Amino acid sequence: MKTRFPLAAVLTALFAASFFIVPLIATFYFSLKMTRGELGFAAYASVFNSAAFLNTILYSTVASLIAILIGAIIIVPTAYWVRLKVPKLRPVVEFVSLLPLIVPPVVLVFGYIRLFGSNSWLPLTASTFGTDILLVVGYVVLSMPYMFRAVDNGMAAIDITTLTEAAESLGASRLRTITAVIFPNVRAAIISGAFLTFSISLGEFVLASLLNRPAFGPYLVQLGQDRAYEPAALAIMSFGFTWGCMVLMQLFATRKPGQRWLPRLFTRPAQRS
Amino acid sequence: MTLNTQKVLMITTALAVAAGSAAQAQTADMDALIAAAKAEGTLTTIALPHDWCNYGAVIEGFKAKYGLEVNELNPNAGSGDEIEAIKANKDNTGPQAPDVIDVGLSFGPAAKAEGLIQPYKVSTWDSIPESAKDAEGYWYGDYYGVLAMAVNKDVVTDASPASFADLKDPKYAAMVAIPGDPRTGNSSMMSVYAMGLAANGGKGGADAATAGIAFLKDLKASGNFVDVGGSAQNFAQGTTPIMMDWDYNVLAMRDKLAGNPPMDVVIPSDGVIAGVYVQAISAYAPHPNAAKLWMEYLYSDEGQLGWLSGYCHPIRFNDMVARGVIPAEMMAKLPPADGYAKAVFPTLDEQGAAKAVVAETWATEMGAN
Amino acid sequence: MTLDASATRIEVRAPGPRLPMGRKLTWNWLGVAPFFLFAFLFLIGPVLYLVAGAFQNADGAFTFDNIIALGSPNIVASFSLSIRLSLLSALMGAVTGLLLAQAVILGGLPVWVRTAFTTFSGVASNFAGVPLAFAFIATLGRLGLVTVLLRDLFGINLYASGFNLFSFFGLSLVYLYFQLPLMFLIIAPALDGLKREWREAAEILGASRRQYWQLVGLPVLTPTILGCFLLLFANAFGTLATVYALVGSGFDVVPIVLFQQIRGNVLYNPNLGYALALGMVVIMGVSNTLYLLLRNRAERWQK
Repeated sequence: MKTRFPLAAVLTALFAASFFIVPLIATFYFSLKMTRGELGFAAYASVFNSAAFLNTILYSTVASLIAILIGAIIIVPTAYWVRLKVPKLRPVVEFVSLLPLIVPPVVLVFGYIRLFGSNSWLPLTASTFGTDILLVVGYVVLSMPYMFRAVDNGMAAIDITTLTEAAESLGASRLRTITAVIFPNVRAAIISGAFLTFSISLGEFVLASLLNRPAFGPYLVQLGQDRAYEPAALAIMSFGFTWGCMVLMQLFATRKPGQRWLPRLFTRPAQRS
Repeated sequence: MTLNTQKVLMITTALAVAAGSAAQAQTADMDALIAAAKAEGTLTTIALPHDWCNYGAVIEGFKAKYGLEVNELNPNAGSGDEIEAIKANKDNTGPQAPDVIDVGLSFGPAAKAEGLIQPYKVSTWDSIPESAKDAEGYWYGDYYGVLAMAVNKDVVTDASPASFADLKDPKYAAMVAIPGDPRTGNSSMMSVYAMGLAANGGKGGADAATAGIAFLKDLKASGNFVDVGGSAQNFAQGTTPIMMDWDYNVLAMRDKLAGNPPMDVVIPSDGVIAGVYVQAISAYAPHPNAAKLWMEYLYSDEGQLGWLSGYCHPIRFNDMVARGVIPAEMMAKLPPADGYAKAVFPTLDEQGAAKAVVAETWATEMGAN
Repeated sequence: MTLDASATRIEVRAPGPRLPMGRKLTWNWLGVAPFFLFAFLFLIGPVLYLVAGAFQNADGAFTFDNIIALGSPNIVASFSLSIRLSLLSALMGAVTGLLLAQAVILGGLPVWVRTAFTTFSGVASNFAGVPLAFAFIATLGRLGLVTVLLRDLFGINLYASGFNLFSFFGLSLVYLYFQLPLMFLIIAPALDGLKREWREAAEILGASRRQYWQLVGLPVLTPTILGCFLLLFANAFGTLATVYALVGSGFDVVPIVLFQQIRGNVLYNPNLGYALALGMVVIMGVSNTLYLLLRNRAERWQK
C-alpha cells in the first residue's frame, strides 16, 4: 500500500472535529460568563453545591450499564438468529426495533403505569425495586433502535453462516456458538450500541421523572429551569462525564489479553480486524 | 333579672358556646386531618417547578411544618400532562400517582367533567373570590399574575418599550419574543391575547386572538419578531432581549440573573392580562388526607405569603391586604399596584374562543408550514 | 471452462434431517421468542393504548373523527414538512457520516483518532434538545460567537447575506450535529467488514480508488447504508425537543403538533395526539417497506 500523507482524510477529520467542537466552545464560553464582567467558574460551583448531583449521576450510570447489559443479551442473539434462521421475520423485527423512535416517551411511560401499576397483573410500580426495573427496561426499549441497527450492521460484516457451521462442526452447542464465537466478533458493533444506550439513558428525563426515580435527567432539568448560566455549565459537565465514561468503556472492552492500556500515539493501524 | 335580659343572656351565651365550639371543632378537624395525613406519610405533586411562584420554598415550608415527605413528579409537565397522569394512574397507588394538580383555569371544569378530581373546601374558602372557584369545591384558583415584558438592558441600550404598541419601533429589530408556541404554552397564548387586546382596544375573546396574531404577523414582517422561544438562557445570551412572560417568572428571573444582564420589568400600559391557575385534588389520590392538608397549607396565610414571595399574587391577596397581614418589604418588591388595577381576567368562554382561533389560524398566518 | 462453471454452480447441501416444514419453523421461532416477548410487554403493549386512544374521543366512545382530522390541511402540511426535513437530514447525515467514517477508519489515520471520534460520537449522537439548540444559538445566532467573530474579524455579516439559523436549512444543520455521529457509529462495524484483500485485489487489477469504491466498496455497503438511512430518517422524524427549543412556534413538524395536543396547556385533544402518533407509525411502516424493497435489490448478488 502506498504510504502517502492522507491529506483528504486529515482534512475531513479536522472539518468534522471543528463542526463538533465549535458549538461546545460557544456553550462553554457562555457558561463562564455568570459573574458579570469576568470569566469564571461560578456556574460550575453553583452546580456542585447541590448534594443531589453525585447521587443522581451514580444512579443513572448504574441504570445505564444494566440497560446496556440487558440490551446486548436480548438483541445480539435475536439479530443473529434472525439473520441465520428466520430471515422472513427480519422485516418485522426491524420495524419493531424502530418503533421506539416514533412513540413519544410520555405515551410509553403512561402505558407502563397502566400495565404495571400497583393494581395490575404485574405490580412493578408498587415497589422501588420494581420501578427501578421498569425504568431500566424503558431505557432498553428507548435504545433498541440504535443497538439493533449497530449489531445488525456488525453481523452483516462477518460471515455468520460460515462461522456457525465451523463452530458446530467443532462440536459447539448453540449457546456456546453465540457466546464464544458471535459475541466477540461483533464486539465493536456492541460497543457502538452500548455507547448510544449509555448516553440516551444518562440524560433521559421523561421516564425517570414520571416514574419518580432519582435519575440524572430530572436533576438536570430541575436545576436548569429558569436559569441562564447553570444549564450551559451542566451541559458541558455531563458531556465531559459521558465522554469520559465512554473512553473507559472503550478501553475495557477492546483490550486484548496482555495489551497495553493506553494506545500508542501516531502508530499506523497495522491490523484492522 | 327581667325576662328580656335573661333571654339576651341565654342567646349570647348560646352564641358564645356555639362560636367557641365551632372554633374548637375546626381545630379538632384540623388536628384529625394532620394526624391522618401523617399516617399517610407522603404527598405526590406534579408540575411544580421550584422557581415558579417560589414553589421550592412552599414545599420546604410544608415539609418542615408537618414532617411529611413530598414526591415531586415531572416539574416540566403541562396541564394536559397532569390530567393524563391522573388518568394513567387510576389503578396505581404507587408514588407515580399525583395527589394534587395545579392547572390552567380551563382545565378545572374539564377535569371535573371527566370525574378526575374530588371536592374539598379549605377552611379559608370564603375569602376566595367567587369567580375563581367552583361552587361545589372541585377546583379553586390559587394565584394569578399579569403578563409582563423582560428587557435585557445590555442589548436594548435605549429606552425600554412601555407598551405593546412600542414594540413596532424599528429600533427593536429582531428582539421581540414570546415564551414559545401559543398552541403549547399558556403564557405564549396569553401573550398573543394581550397583544390583541392592546391592538383592538379591549375586545376580548376570539377578536383578541385574531388581532394578536395579526400584530405578531406585522412584527414578523417588519423583522422585529424573533421566532425563538424566550427562555432565561436565550434572554441572557441576547437572542431574545425583549421577552413576554408572566410577571412572577420575569421577576424571579431578574432575581436569579442578579444583574447579569441588567434588566427592566415592564407591565405594558395598553394591555394588562391576568391569568389564573387552579388547584384540585385527584379523585384517585393515594394520599387524600395529605392532599387536603396541602390545600389547607396553601390557602393559609403562610402558604399564600409563600407564593407572594415568588412574586405571584395569591388568590386571597385582597383579603390579606385588608387584614394587613402582608409584610411591607414584600409589598415593596412587587411592581406598582396601578398596573394591576387595570388587569383584565379573561373568562373561560373568552379563553376558549381565543384558543380555537389560534389553533385554526396560527400555522397559516405565521407560516409554520 | 463452461464445464467447470456449471460444475461449481451445483450447490452441495449438507444432508440434514428431513423434518416436516412446520416442525422446523417452531424451533426457529423459539429463538426470537425472548425478543418478541420483551417487545410485546414493554413496547407493543403501551403502543396498543396509543392505537386504542386514536380511535376514541374524549368520552371514550369509538370514533373515526381523529383519523379524519389527520386529513385536515394543517396536519397534512405538517406531515409533508416532517417528511421533507427528515429526508434531507437523513441524506446529509448519511453522506457526511460515511465520508467521516471512511476517512477515520480507512484513511490511514492513527488509531487514537478513531477512538476519539467513536467515543465523541457516542455522546454527540444524543446531544439534542435544549442544550443543542442553545449551543447553536450561542454559535450561529444573531449574537452568536461565530457570527460576531465573522463580523468583527472578517467583516462578513452572516445574517445580511441571507443565512438564518431559524430556517429549514438551519434546522437541518442543527440536526446534523446528532445525525452525523449516529451514522458514524453505526456504519463503523460495516466498514471494518470491508476486507483489505478486496482492496488489494482491486489494486492489483489496476482499479483506481474511485473505481474501487464505485464497483466494490459501495455496492457491498449499500444494504447497510440503506439501513442506516432508515434509522436516520426515523430519528429525525421523531425529534421534538430540538425543534421546539430552536424555532419555537415557527415549524409545525408532526411531533410538535402531537406535543401541542398531549402537553395541553392550550389545546388539549390527546386522542388527536394519539392519532398523529399512529400516523407516524404508519409512515414508518411505509418507509420500512420501501427500504426492504431497495435492500432486496441491493442484496441480490449475495447468497
